[in-house]
Amino acid sequence: MKTWKRFAHIDVGSVEQAADLLRRGNAALIAGGTDLLGGMRFEILPDYPELIVNLKTIPGLDYIREEGGGLRIGALTRLEDIARSATVRSRWTALADAAHRTATPHIREMGTIGGNICQLNRCWYFRIPDNRFHCVRKGGKTCYAMAGDNRYHSIFGALKSCLAVNPSDTAPALVALGASIRTNRRLVEAEKFWDMRVPGSTVLEPGEIVTAIEIPAPPAGAKSAFLKFAIRKSIDFPIVNCAVMVAGGEARVCLNAVHNRPWRATASEDVVRGKAIDEALADAAGAAAVAKALALPGDRNKWKIQIARTLVKRALLASA
Amino acid sequence: MTEEKKAGQVERGGISRRSFLRDAGLAAAVPAVAPIARAGEAPAPRTPAAPAGPAASEDSCDGPTMVQLTVNSGQYRCEVQPHWSLRQLLRDEIGLTSPKDWCGGLGACGSCTVILNGRPVLSCLTLACECHGAAVETAEGIANTKHPVIQAYIDYNAFQCGYCTPGFVCTAKALLDRNQNPTEADVRDALGGNLCRCATYQQHPPAVIAAAAELRRDRSRS
Repeated sequence: MKTWKRFAHIDVGSVEQAADLLRRGNAALIAGGTDLLGGMRFEILPDYPELIVNLKTIPGLDYIREEGGGLRIGALTRLEDIARSATVRSRWTALADAAHRTATPHIREMGTIGGNICQLNRCWYFRIPDNRFHCVRKGGKTCYAMAGDNRYHSIFGALKSCLAVNPSDTAPALVALGASIRTNRRLVEAEKFWDMRVPGSTVLEPGEIVTAIEIPAPPAGAKSAFLKFAIRKSIDFPIVNCAVMVAGGEARVCLNAVHNRPWRATASEDVVRGKAIDEALADAAGAAAVAKALALPGDRNKWKIQIARTLVKRALLASA
Repeated sequence: MTEEKKAGQVERGGISRRSFLRDAGLAAAVPAVAPIARAGEAPAPRTPAAPAGPAASEDSCDGPTMVQLTVNSGQYRCEVQPHWSLRQLLRDEIGLTSPKDWCGGLGACGSCTVILNGRPVLSCLTLACECHGAAVETAEGIANTKHPVIQAYIDYNAFQCGYCTPGFVCTAKALLDRNQNPTEADVRDALGGNLCRCATYQQHPPAVIAAAAELRRDRSRS
């Protein structure tokens, strides 16, 4: 097994202390560590952190609480605890299902919700060991997926020249449920939380740390669902996933693994607005979701368009 | 029951191939692992390093740190480097070889599974220095307690080459600790992160369900 290159490690007692260390130099935060440590072991990035800042020693960031009808989840809450929570399942079903379909049971026992939404994007050129492709997401000039094997890449075009997809299962559920991300500095709507950064996947600034997820009470009679297409039931990242919340003639539909950021399918939402969802309407909403999708030259990722269309349809029917 | 004997030797510090090699001085470094006599003693909390200036990343947390942890029934005090995995600590320092490596540290196979504070986790993606005060169970410990899951795996032939078996056994034991009556779907779901290249998958659910039944019988007898 490849061992890690040396790094220093520090347990911190507060978010402020972690933020302070982050601002000082080449440091990385660790919560569950499943994304960070795998990437470090294979040295996928040109920069190797000198210091690992352990957030798990910060008290009071691991909780699931109902607050004023809404839901508040601490950033250090393990995905498995979210998947098993009767509270989350009762009214925020799409999130419970998304957490349950993430990775493997072991990774869900280790990985946190804060880490899941901050994980780096998936692209085999970006993540290849020893940084063999110095791509745009690492500060290079080329997106190797553009002319390479891009069967898993974006069907909604590049963002800042990068075709890598956001692989989070919980992210589309948070967007569909209208969640916000609380950091040590501000509250960001989930929909605006992700962006293409070098090499990050979020709008977090240096020294900014996610502390909680805040999800409002679902509207009366709301139903939500999460569906995922992957080759295996466990382990695999999504090829496409989709979360939907339907309430009182309004729907929120969000796809992921189809673009650099979670992709809110507002065109589908327009199709179903004010109408009773049946097979034909859900089908039309699925078609609307991918009306602007475009396979990359060579059509290697064209199959994902059909999957996205079908997942939107099925998720809407499951929430109707 | 050869499994038990092997595991027992390691636990008791008897002669195994690994301890022989180590004692014979073939290992380059002297492992800084000290089993602690008084079991059950709670480790003192490790003081977080002071949030000093740039020095914080240079001296206070750069070198080896002491961790005190319970592994199976023994208490250990170990000096670990920040970049060591828990798997490395268990295998190379403590001498428990059941956490295997298959996928190379990607977190994609489950072969290195151990139970950390009640949760089945991947020891290859867990930092040893973050395990201060932790309780770790490995397949050796599960075998030593004569947990029914071991006999069930034998009875149901739930392995062929056996390489992935310690990971499966740890995952199954963690499931049985929280679910006394798992369904086949529960078992399949819980074992979803463990790969078996011999493809013994269909034998696992009946084995774990049989172990659960045996555990329930044990409880009703006691």
